[in-house]
Parts: sequence; structure tokens; C-alpha cells
Amino acid sequence: MIVTLAIILGLLLLTVLGAPLFVIISSIALLAFHIAEIDSSAVIIELYRLTSQPVFLAIPLFTFAGYLLAESGTPKRLFNLSRNLIGWLPAGLALVALVSLAIFTAFTGASGVTIIALGGLLYPMMQQEKYPEKFSLGLITASGNLGLLFPPSLPIILYGLVAQVPIDQLYLGGIIPGILMIVLLSGYAIFFYRKNVRHKQNFKPTGKQLWQAIKNTAWEIPLPILIIGGIYGGLFTATDAAAVTAIYVFIIEIFIYKDISLFKDLPRIIKESMIMVGGIIVILAAALGLANYMIDAQIPAKILASMQHFIKSPLIFLLFLNLFLLIVGALMDIFSAIMVIAPLLIPIANSFGINPVHLGIIFMANLGIGYSTPPVGMNLFISSMRFNKSITFLYHAALPFLLILLIALALITYIPELTLVFLH
Amino acid sequence: MSYLRRINQWIAKLELFVLVVIVLSMVFMAAAQIILRKFFNSGILWGDIFLRQLVLWVSFIGASLATKDNKHINMDLLGRLLKGRWKASAEILVHLFSAFIVFLLFQASWTFVQSEIEFGSTVFKNVPSWYFEIIMPVGFGLMALRFLLNAIFSFEYAIKHGESK
Repeated sequence: MIVTLAIILGLLLLTVLGAPLFVIISSIALLAFHIAEIDSSAVIIELYRLTSQPVFLAIPLFTFAGYLLAESGTPKRLFNLSRNLIGWLPAGLALVALVSLAIFTAFTGASGVTIIALGGLLYPMMQQEKYPEKFSLGLITASGNLGLLFPPSLPIILYGLVAQVPIDQLYLGGIIPGILMIVLLSGYAIFFYRKNVRHKQNFKPTGKQLWQAIKNTAWEIPLPILIIGGIYGGLFTATDAAAVTAIYVFIIEIFIYKDISLFKDLPRIIKESMIMVGGIIVILAAALGLANYMIDAQIPAKILASMQHFIKSPLIFLLFLNLFLLIVGALMDIFSAIMVIAPLLIPIANSFGINPVHLGIIFMANLGIGYSTPPVGMNLFISSMRFNKSITFLYHAALPFLLILLIALALITYIPELTLVFLH
Repeated sequence: MSYLRRINQWIAKLELFVLVVIVLSMVFMAAAQIILRKFFNSGILWGDIFLRQLVLWVSFIGASLATKDNKHINMDLLGRLLKGRWKASAEILVHLFSAFIVFLLFQASWTFVQSEIEFGSTVFKNVPSWYFEIIMPVGFGLMALRFLLNAIFSFEYAIKHGESK
């Protein structure tokens, strides 16, 4: 007993001191296998088995494409286009921010890169149009994960891989919840704008400006249409979509827009994106190895049995799930959280009769919000660094947006139909 | 210690070169597969399997470079608050622990590859699986080495400057 406690405390200490997550998880898995007298190569079998999953290929291809997009002039052109399209509406610039943040996150995954790539464009523009600083930074920070539920979001793919849920079903399930979040935030932005923004500046794009913006993005517009349409329409699997996105982005950014130099930038971008992939895959491998052991040892069943003493209804379970995932989302990045937590939670949620697709959407929405939840949500730190503001300032700034997102989360969680309507 | 750093850099250069070659082949081959499948109703039979084996390679090379640059995903809540000697000691402890655990993974993957060689398993046709699987022990081996190097570099830095980087 004392030994177990010492090991747990030791690992916790190493974790908060900054030991890589895959090392911590691997050490638990290795120890568990050692005690159960199973050969440690069982951990490796799980890792190698990943190569039999078709969607495995989507991970490096999407990550590479996302890094290319983030380094290119695409964020700027995307912002310019959406400004000319919807910027003239009341609170237009705030709506532009929400929509472009969502699209960009869907294509680059939720690694905080959205805030860095787009925030730098949106924030000065919002200052210029006299949006209060607090509102602008709160909006950018809290919306940094808005596109998580839309194709071709990588966290969804990873969840499908871990949970063995068809990825196209997850994407279909995410449509209404994803739109709901954007609509609620837009509603708040319009309300706020009417009440608090003085000296309203009406942005009126001329036909010429709009045409120029469309012409500039002529090569980029087909991509989301092709990918999102292809996935929803059943023409592409997620893996096909990844292959198409990777080659398409590669060709347009390097040979057509020439934003990225083949010799100067490309090797660095390949390196950075594959460091991300390597980091994800080693955690995935360790987590799958550990989950394999835990399911063999019937640990989810044991957690379930002890939970059933005080959690009787699915509703109470969902409430606990929301709170738990909010904390997890604030502590861990979304990829690790999916890989470590999902395999344990899925059997438990199943026994409460929660639809696996619904569970996946709750997972994503919940973890995404956790990212900007005080005190340690990662988006808050990223914004704090990017915009040179104190972290407490960002706590306050993000708060109203967080409340709105929590309302959306409650609707998504307790009205399963929002997720399931397109599935039957 | 400068020769250790040089070897480390040299390995990293080699890794980057292999990485660039594999990633670009992956991008083009995956695209070619789709074009062949959607428009010509054909495709390279072993193509998809081969591509997924390449994912294993880029993952391990990426993870090895992540170790060199200290870029593994972690939950560094306390470490960033520490200063001076405390921080240096914490870093060294974390690197040494990681080196030890990753060394165990190296052993485990080596055992796995050996059993695959003995068993004679293949990925497609008569290509042995271990041609691809060998990246696992190689990758874990490089990572273990680099965690050890990180510990040495942190120690060296702490002695020279009385604090951590």
C-alpha cells in the first residue's frame, strides 16, 4: 500500500516537473505489465498494431498540411475574404473573427496555432474598429478551438481511431453542435456591439474589393468545399481527405502562392510538424498499451461498479462527465486527453446507454472549452504570451465567452438529438 | 562535451534528411493512390500498407527530434515555477527518469522485433515485417540516448552558470 502510494506520488511529481507524458504513461504500463507478469513487448504490439488502421496515415498528412497553412499567407487571405463577405454586418468584424477562427482550427487541429496565426491579424483590426480590448482578446482566446467539430479536424479523427467509432459519423454528428457554438457566440457579439461599441465604423466593401479578395483566394476556396463536401457526401474517407489536402496545400503554397520556399522553409516545417506527429504517436502507443491492460484487468468495470453507488442516472453521469472533462481539458492538451481518457470512459458511458457518437462530440466540445478554462487552460497562456497581457486579465476577458460556450455545451450534452439528427 | 553535441547535431541532420525524403514520398504516393483509385479504378496493391509503415518511421524520427529539442508533450505545471539549482536538479531528474523508461521500451521493442524475425512475419508478399519494425528499437534507442545527453547538458550548464537554461 505504502509502495503504491509512493509510486503514485513520485509519478505525479515527475509529471508536474515536466516529464514527457508518454514517459509517464509508459512507466505505468510497463509497471502494470511487470506486476501481471506479462512480457513488456505487449506494449509494443499495441503500437505496431496502429499500422493496420487505415486512418493512421491521416495523422501525419493533416498535421503537415496544417503546419504549411499556418506558415503561409492563407490566414491573411482567409481573413480578408471573410471580412469582405460578412464584415459589413452589425458586429461584422467579430463575426469575421468567429468564422475564420473556426475554419482555420478545423484545418490545423487545435494546437494553439490558430490564436497565433489569426489572432495577430484580428486583434489590431478589432482595436481599430473600437472594440474594447477585453472583448477582443476574450473572443479570440475563447474561440481558439471553435472549429474542432468540423471536418477535417484531427482530434475527431484521433477519437475515432481510439474509440473505434466511424469518423464520418462523428463529423456528421458535429455539424449542429459546431454551428450552435458559433451562433450563440455571434448572438452575444452582436448584443455586445449594439450596447457597448461607440463610434461604430461601418465597413462597406466595394464590389472591386470583394472581387479582389475572391481572386486572391481563388486557389484556397475549392479546398474546404472539396474536403468538407467530400467527407459529408461520402465521397472521401478521412484518410482520402488527408491525402488530397496535403498534396493540394503543398502545391498551392509552394508553387502557386510561393508563400513557402522549397529549400528554405520546407525542411523546417516538415521537421516541426513531424515532431508534433511523433509526440502524438508515442503517447497514443503508450496510452493504448495501458488501456489494453486496464480493460483486461476490468478496471473500467470496477470504476463503474463503485460509481453506481452514487451515480444512478445517465443525466447525473453526464454532469460529472462535463465537469471531469472540463478539468482534464484545462490540464492536458486535447490529443493526450483523448488518448488517455477516452478508452477508459467509453465502456462506462456505454453502460449508461450514451451513444458513442454523442459521447465523442461531448468529448470534443468539452475538451475544447477546457482549453480556455482558468486557471491553467492552454489558450489563456498562449494568448497571454502572444498579446503581452497578464494571465488574470485574460481570465476576466474570456469569462463571458466561456459562459456562453458552457451553455452550448449543456445543450449539446443534454439534447442528444442535436448530435444524432443526421445519423439515422 | 562539445564532441557529444557535434554527434548529436550530426544525427539530427541525418534524421532530418530521412524525414524530408519520407514525408515528401508519403505526400506524393498517397495522392497517386487516390488518383489511381478514383479515376482509373486501380492502385498499387501494397501501397496503402507501405504508406502506413512509413507513418511509423516519421513518428519515431519525429519523436527522436522532439527529444533533442525538448518538445515532447508534457504537463509542466511546477517545473516552470522553479528557479536556479532547483530547476536544474528537476530537469536532470526528469531526463534521467525518461532515459531509464525509454531504455525499457527499447528493450521491449527489440524483443518484439527479434520474435518477428524468428517467426518470419511479412507485411506484404515476401517483404519481412522487421524491415519496417526496426525503426521502433532504433527510435527508442536514439531517444534514450538523447534523454541521457539532455541530462548531461543540463548538468554541464548548471555547473557553468549556477542555474538552468
